[in-house]
Amino acid sequence: MAEVVLRRLLATVPVLLLVTAGVFALLHLTPGDPVDAMMAESADASTKESLRRELGLDRPIAVQYAAWMGRLLRGDLGRSIRNGEPVLENVSRRIRPSLQLALLAMAIALTIAFPVAIASAVRHNTGVDRLGTTFALFGICMPNFLLALLLIFVFGVTLRWLPISGYLDPLEEGWSGLRSLILPAVTLGLALAAVITRTLRSSLLEALAEDYVRTARAKGLSEWVVIRGHVLKNALIPVVTVLGLQLGTLIGGAVITEYVFALPGVGRLVVDAVFARDYPLVQGVILLIALGFIVSNLLVDLLYGYIDPRIRLR
Amino acid sequence: MDTSTRAFVFAEPAPAVNDRRWGALRRAARARLAPFGAAVLLAAIVVALAAPLLSPYDPLAQDLGNVLARPGRVHWLGTDNVGRDVLSRVIWGTRVSLVAGFVSVAIAAAAGGVLGMLAGYAGGRADGVVMRLMDAVLSLPPLVLALALGAVLGAGLTGVLLALGVVYTPAFARLMRGQVLSVKTRDYVEAARALGASGWWIARRHVLPNAATPIVVQASLSVAFAILAEASLSFLGLGIQPPAASWGSMINAGRGYLQQAPWIVFGPGAALFVTVVALNFVGDAIRDGLDPRLRG
Repeated sequence: MAEVVLRRLLATVPVLLLVTAGVFALLHLTPGDPVDAMMAESADASTKESLRRELGLDRPIAVQYAAWMGRLLRGDLGRSIRNGEPVLENVSRRIRPSLQLALLAMAIALTIAFPVAIASAVRHNTGVDRLGTTFALFGICMPNFLLALLLIFVFGVTLRWLPISGYLDPLEEGWSGLRSLILPAVTLGLALAAVITRTLRSSLLEALAEDYVRTARAKGLSEWVVIRGHVLKNALIPVVTVLGLQLGTLIGGAVITEYVFALPGVGRLVVDAVFARDYPLVQGVILLIALGFIVSNLLVDLLYGYIDPRIRLR
Repeated sequence: MDTSTRAFVFAEPAPAVNDRRWGALRRAARARLAPFGAAVLLAAIVVALAAPLLSPYDPLAQDLGNVLARPGRVHWLGTDNVGRDVLSRVIWGTRVSLVAGFVSVAIAAAAGGVLGMLAGYAGGRADGVVMRLMDAVLSLPPLVLALALGAVLGAGLTGVLLALGVVYTPAFARLMRGQVLSVKTRDYVEAARALGASGWWIARRHVLPNAATPIVVQASLSVAFAILAEASLSFLGLGIQPPAASWGSMINAGRGYLQQAPWIVFGPGAALFVTVVALNFVGDAIRDGLDPRLRG
């Protein structure tokens, strides 16, 4: 197992290097002078020159990259141009709402997807199944921002049950904090639920047709015991794969969701930084998101071995 | 037996291309929801092409005496906060969405196809570099990458098209590389090489036709997601710039009037949703028709 982890870790090194090169290049791909793009036209030449020096833009590009990598390895991701704070501090202040949103969305997705997929697969080709597959199609085709506005219209504007924007920390404010996260989490969770439902339903259908299921039924086991004990665990691998693949969509969805609901998370930070042309902050946050994405995918790979011992032995 | 004779003996017979195509079409048409998807897609293409003829009003013309008008006989989908006809803007927005969907996927298919072929053919270090580059692109969440590239390339349709093209390139590169690796060891390729065919001729004559099916399937399934991605970027303000109409930017502009005038959001929202659903049906039908093994 340790060897597998080490091999996977080593495989991520070149990818990480290329990601750093790509993120570094972001600043230099900007048409024209990046400092002009970052600062208002009215800014005087000496201010622009000092920013140029601070960003190292007056040095050869290879030297700039080497210096930037050196700082990265020391954990220095640069400073935001807008507030002058280190990128890591900016992110650490924003990470809590994002994590809470992601966890709640994941919980909602799993709570919806498992019963819907199991009902669809067990009652294959019936009205229940059609309802389940229609739900999955709806969730996959519905853009996050439209679903968010639909939910705001129904539950915020018309029924006035839930707040439509803003954030209170559930760990400090309790129920009112949780209320502020319900609509964003449902927005994000429904899309994920749709993808999981689709995958789980088809892998459950495959597992239900296996010989060991017929044997289990012939032994006289109840349908629920067959599903829980034999079918579900075998149908989980594709779901874990999809969860890994969907992490990127989840992060992208979180960017939109945080933007619509004015949640002060990392996604909102990226959007704000992009529009403020705060390139050091954009570079730093994107690098951190990529790192988080790579580590999560690594964990998903390792989870396979835990769920299916056959993969661990291979 | 000399090499060329052996190659001819083992060369596989050319498949009956016409029979295969008709079979694929028949299978695609049999899919229950495909006709609905195809009809909606066709309607969307007609609307996009004939936007100047179909649009009842100038999509940019403001009528400040008639702002936030409810949907009715004069304005079928109502008017927005500056009195512009929502239906006309939805019709013009169709053009932006379809162009974004098809062009960005075409860019990705072309770039991914070339890179995948290069990696598969050259092998060794070139293969390693290209595929690690693709892994690096895949290691960034698609929307975040598109957002960053869009920011660098500047707001506007061209920036969005290029950004989405980059985001979708790895999927096509991987597909093409896999096809090249599988085809280049076949006997008929060996035969062609023995007969002195150039690498370019082999690629055009043998690799491309074999890779076409999975590429077309991947492209048809990607267009819907590209349209959603363009709408998301426009919603965030990176797509086509106001006052020009795109579904995403219309939805963003209307969200401040959700209480008084929900039609500003739900007109383009419905158009976006129905188009994406239709493209999914068509994509699924093309997949089932061209390659039944990939059926989900």
